[in-house]
This record gives sequence, C-alpha cells and structure tokens, in this order.
Amino acid sequence: MTDVPHSRVDAEGMTADTAFRVRMRRLFGVLQGLASNPATVIGLVIIALMLAMAIFAPWILEPNSPDPYQMPRDWGAVRKPPGTPGHLLGTTNEGGDVLYGVIWGSRTSLQLSLMVVGSTMIVGTIIGSVAGLVGGWVDEVLMRIVDVFLSIPELIFALAIAAVLGPSFGNIIFALAVVLWVKYARIMRAQVLQIKQNDYVDAARVIGDSRVNIYLRDILPNAVTPVTVQATLDMGNVVLIGATLSFIGLSEAGIAEWGVLVSEGQAGIASGRWWASTFPGLMIFLWALSFNLVGDGLRDALDPRTEGR
Amino acid sequence: MLDAKHGGATVASVRDLKVHFQSKRGVVHAVDGVSFDIRDGETLGLVGETGCGKSVTGRSFLRLLPVPPGILAGGSVMFNAHAVCTSCEGTGCETCEGTGRKASQDRSVNLLGIPSEDMRRIRGDRIAMIFQDPGKALNPTLPVGAQIAEVFLQHRTDELIALAGLPADTVGAVRRFASQSPRFGDGWLLSLPGVRAQRRRVEEALATMVAGALAETQVPNPAKLMARYPHELSGGMRQRVMIAQALACNPDLLIADEPTTALDVTVEARILELIRNLQQRRKTSVLYISHDLSLVRRISDRVAVMYAGRIVEIGTTAEVFANPRHPYTRGLMAAVPGADTPRGKLAAIRGTVPELVDPAAACRFCGRCPYETGACRNNDPFLEAITPSHLVACFIDHPAPSGERPSYDRATA
Repeated sequence: MTDVPHSRVDAEGMTADTAFRVRMRRLFGVLQGLASNPATVIGLVIIALMLAMAIFAPWILEPNSPDPYQMPRDWGAVRKPPGTPGHLLGTTNEGGDVLYGVIWGSRTSLQLSLMVVGSTMIVGTIIGSVAGLVGGWVDEVLMRIVDVFLSIPELIFALAIAAVLGPSFGNIIFALAVVLWVKYARIMRAQVLQIKQNDYVDAARVIGDSRVNIYLRDILPNAVTPVTVQATLDMGNVVLIGATLSFIGLSEAGIAEWGVLVSEGQAGIASGRWWASTFPGLMIFLWALSFNLVGDGLRDALDPRTEGR
Repeated sequence: MLDAKHGGATVASVRDLKVHFQSKRGVVHAVDGVSFDIRDGETLGLVGETGCGKSVTGRSFLRLLPVPPGILAGGSVMFNAHAVCTSCEGTGCETCEGTGRKASQDRSVNLLGIPSEDMRRIRGDRIAMIFQDPGKALNPTLPVGAQIAEVFLQHRTDELIALAGLPADTVGAVRRFASQSPRFGDGWLLSLPGVRAQRRRVEEALATMVAGALAETQVPNPAKLMARYPHELSGGMRQRVMIAQALACNPDLLIADEPTTALDVTVEARILELIRNLQQRRKTSVLYISHDLSLVRRISDRVAVMYAGRIVEIGTTAEVFANPRHPYTRGLMAAVPGADTPRGKLAAIRGTVPELVDPAAACRFCGRCPYETGACRNNDPFLEAITPSHLVACFIDHPAPSGERPSYDRATA
C-alpha cells in the first residue's frame, strides 16, 4: 500500500460521468464563445445550409444516372434563363441544369475538402511532431523538405502536379494533398517546440511519465488549437483552389463541380447569359467565406485562457 | 561532518558536479565543481543570486537539463533511496525516528549515470520536484485530478489494483489501464461489460487516492477540486496541487525550486508551513532552492551559499547566520534590509556576477570583494572546514598557496 493516508472522501469528481460532464462543460464554453460572435454565427448557418444541401441532394434533385456526379444534359433546353420550368436557375450552353450543378457540386466540394484537409492534417501533424520532438538532423532534414514545398506557390505547385497526372478530379485532390501538408507540419513543429519548453512538460517528466504519455497528454492536446483553426480555414481555401484548377480544365469536363460550371458558363457572360457562371461562383464564394468566418471565430473561442471570461 | 541528530545518513551526495552550457561566446561553466550532501530528513537551503547555478544544480538530480546546449561535464549525484531500517526492521526506532525507513547505502545509484528507464522509475516516486510557477507547471488542458492521478498510474499500479479490490494478478487491459500504458484496441476492450466494471473500480480507487493526496495539503473539498482545470484555481491552490502531486508517492527527496516566489506573502507562509509539516511527518529530505535569505533561515537545517557556479559556504543554519565567514555571504546578509535600515539606503554588493565563460584560476568573487589580495587573484580557493560542520571557500580562514592572506581587519578596496 502507499503511505498516503486515504481520507474518507467520496470518489465523485473523477468517475467517467464527471469526466464527461467536465468535457461537456468545456465544449459548451467553446460553443458559447462561437455563439457570441455574430460573424461566426453567420458562417455556421451558411455551413449548416451547405451541409444540409450536400446530404439531402438526392432528395432535392433526382440523381442523374448512371453517374450522379455527371451533369445531366437537356439538349432540348440550352441557354435557358433562370425561372424556366424544370430548370429553376437556367441551363448552360450544353443544356446542363445550373441548379443540379449547384446542389450536387456541394457534394463534390465537401468530398474534396474533407479528403484534402483530413489527409494533410494527419500527415502534417505526424511529420511536424516528429520534427519537433526528435529535433537535431531529423528536424533539419524534414524542415528543409518543407521549405522546398513552401517556396513554390500553392496554386502553381498543385497545378503542375495535377497537369502532369492528367485531367481528373481525383488528381486535383491528390495534388492539393501533396501541396498542403507542409503548413500543418510547420504549425505542429512550432507548437511542439514551444510546448516542450513549458514547465508542465518538465513536471510530467519529473513524475516519471513516459515519452509517449507526455506527447499524448501534455503536448498534443495543447497543440491542436492552431491546427484545428488552420484546418477550418483550409476547408474553404481548398474548395477555392480546387475550383480554380477545375476552371482551367484540370478535372473531367461535365462533372457537377462548381469550378467546372463557372468555366462552362464563362463564354456566355459577354452575351448576357450571366446565370451559368454566377450561381456556382456565388457558392464558391459563400463556401470559402463561411469557413473563413468560422475559422476566425474558432481561433478566439478555442483559446483556453479566454474561456469563461 | 557527522550530525548526531540525523544519524549521519545521507540521502544524496553531490560530488564535483560540473554542468556547462554551450553558448555563442564559449562554454559557460554554470555549475563548476559543486559538492554537498543532503542528510536524511533535513532541509538544505541552497541560496544564491539569479544565475549562480542553484536551479541547474537542483535540476541535475532529476536530469532535467536541456541537452544540448547543456553538457554534463563531470561529477556524480549519488542517491540513496530509503529502505527498511536495518536496526529495527521497520517497526520504528530512534535511528529512523519512528518511520521504520531510512536512507540505505545498499541502494545507492548515480543519478547521472543510470539508464533513462531507471531514472523514470525514480522520478515522482523517490525524488519529486516542486516548480517555481505553479501556473506554468500544470497542463492547462487536463483537470488537476487527472494530473495527480498520473503519478499513481506511473508508480502505484499494484496498490491501485489492490485498492480497487481486484486480484493482484490482474493482467490485460485493466492492468494496462492502471499503469497508463494502453495498447491499440484497449478502448474497445475496456468498454466490454465485465471489463468496464473493473475499470470503474480502478477509476474509483484512483479518485480515492487522488483525493487523499489532495486532502494532505489541507484543501477544502478535495473531491470537487479534482475536476477543476488549473486556470480555475488561485496561485496558492495550484501550488497545493503541485505539492500534492510531488508528495503523492511519499518521496525520499523533494527538490523545491523557489516554490513560493510566484505567491504573495500570506500564501507563502501557509505553503511553507505545509511543506514543513508534511516533511516532518514523512521524514522527507528537502533541497530548498531560494534567493530569499530570511526565508531559508526560517525553514532550513543547513544552508549552502552558491556564487558563480560554486558553493562558497555551507554549514548549519545557526552557524552560517551567526558567523558568516565568506565575504559574499556577509555581503548578502548586509544587503537584507531590516526594520532599522534608514530610508532610501539599501546596501548592495558592488559589481555584478562575473561571466562564467572560461573562468580563470582565481576566486570567483574577485573584483567584488572588499578584502581581496593578490592571493585571491592567483589561487582558486576550495571548501575547507572551519568547524566540523561549517565549510568555507575563502583564504580569510585558510592559508593561500601563495601571496598575502586577506583579512576582515583590513579592507583593501
């Protein structure tokens, strides 16, 4: 037995229920922080609407068969303005329904952003952590590789990779993932180096904690905030860059994707057929804007030092 | 050097410790040949001004030095962990002051030389540390209870399983849970109905142990405090949490690195009293690092004065304060303002601490010492006894190999 005399105190406070309650209290604090910022609330509402649109797409508009991500073509109704029966937002030069592109394009965008942000965040976090924790020549080598990646502008780099691999939406996802992980690696390394200096990391070593435990309990939880914020911002930026690449023809023609749709409609703008580019363009704008608003709000709300004030 | 009261047993002895730091201007000799003993159950006060190497010395016990740029240039820190008292076999007698345990030479290890896995077992269990700023030494993302629990999970797995009423040969996910070494898939295993109940019992046992550790520090309602985050607590409460964590496993040696510097005076008094009480009850040895002379005088059995990487004077608190022999110690004491110090006049030691890049073979206090002579500038004094328990590194009390001896009767500057 330990030499610590155990006073008769009930075990409340540490049971799983309480830990859960404590966690909920924190989450509630973060949500409260988000809710107190009007810009963030607007962003959240837009994101919620977009997500609802992506999730319920098959119920809103009947999926095109065989491939729902391919634009349906109505060759009998080309260049129809918004308000045409059956084509609420009009049609493109090739008879593509703009409304279909807008709604099913949200699914494409969600897929793009989740896959790119998810993979880059994991890879970047692991590489950044290794660089920060191990240090020395490992850090040096990894960060010089990161430097090389960072020295080429994101868009140009992604464009080059996607162009080499050939026009396909899958290649755009891959190209963006290859380009964007470096940001997370940089952020994570900086965080780890900074957090490592903290007394509570020394304190954890002093009580005999293992390295894995110190990383998982003391370093990682304190490092996630900027990574989360960056991920939220990237959710918007990725769609912006992806649409740019699609616009210049790096994904398959005719898929339900906002950038492709803007590109399809641009020829008609000069002749007054504004709708085919405007609506998907507006969606790209709203998507990027809402995630940026929420990202900024999250940065303020996640700071544990401002919690409860 | 033996002290009857403590039976002469030492819990740790530092010998010729040298810690250097690589800097742009050269190698800084931050700690340059420090030797001292910490006796069983005593409080040794380590005083000196900022940058004299006292914190580095304290951190060396736990190998908490940033390497690089720190370099362990030499020396040893022998640590004698407590074992069952040999004269009474654990029943409690005079030599062990009733605790049944005392420092044992048989378990002597060099803290600077053992493998890191062994070091990890000693940290938090046999040697603990309290940091200067409790606001920075607690993880802001975990409730304080979870942070104290960590000590028990790392060092008291068997007790935890016993307290939970589980068989001692419990293996698998539950034991891994109780020793904080989960494997992939344990989360799923622990959610199985039977295992889940066992986990709950371990959690409750853990909560009881944590609440017990917190109750030791006289906090109101420890069970409630456990669920709090560090930022929800005051400085004094945080320091109590740190103390509860440090003393959770009943260590043989506690390194306290200015534990009250970040606190206000009233809280300081209570924290000191708390450390003192817990220490006397458990016979823990304390290395108390501070720059506050009056504080050290109140709490220490012995005092070591550090200057520029060296110990310049060491002795019992009574001896050092009644009869300070080193000019630096005298200067320090003269610099403490008293009630009768005239307004606007504060005594100071002239000059600043020398740079410790490639120090010359001379007394480190040269240039600031009012009594220095040629002997001081050409020879490096080392600690020599003036009474069996009082050692001073100054030529005022010891003959120099060459040159004229300095004297308190005559200031040369």
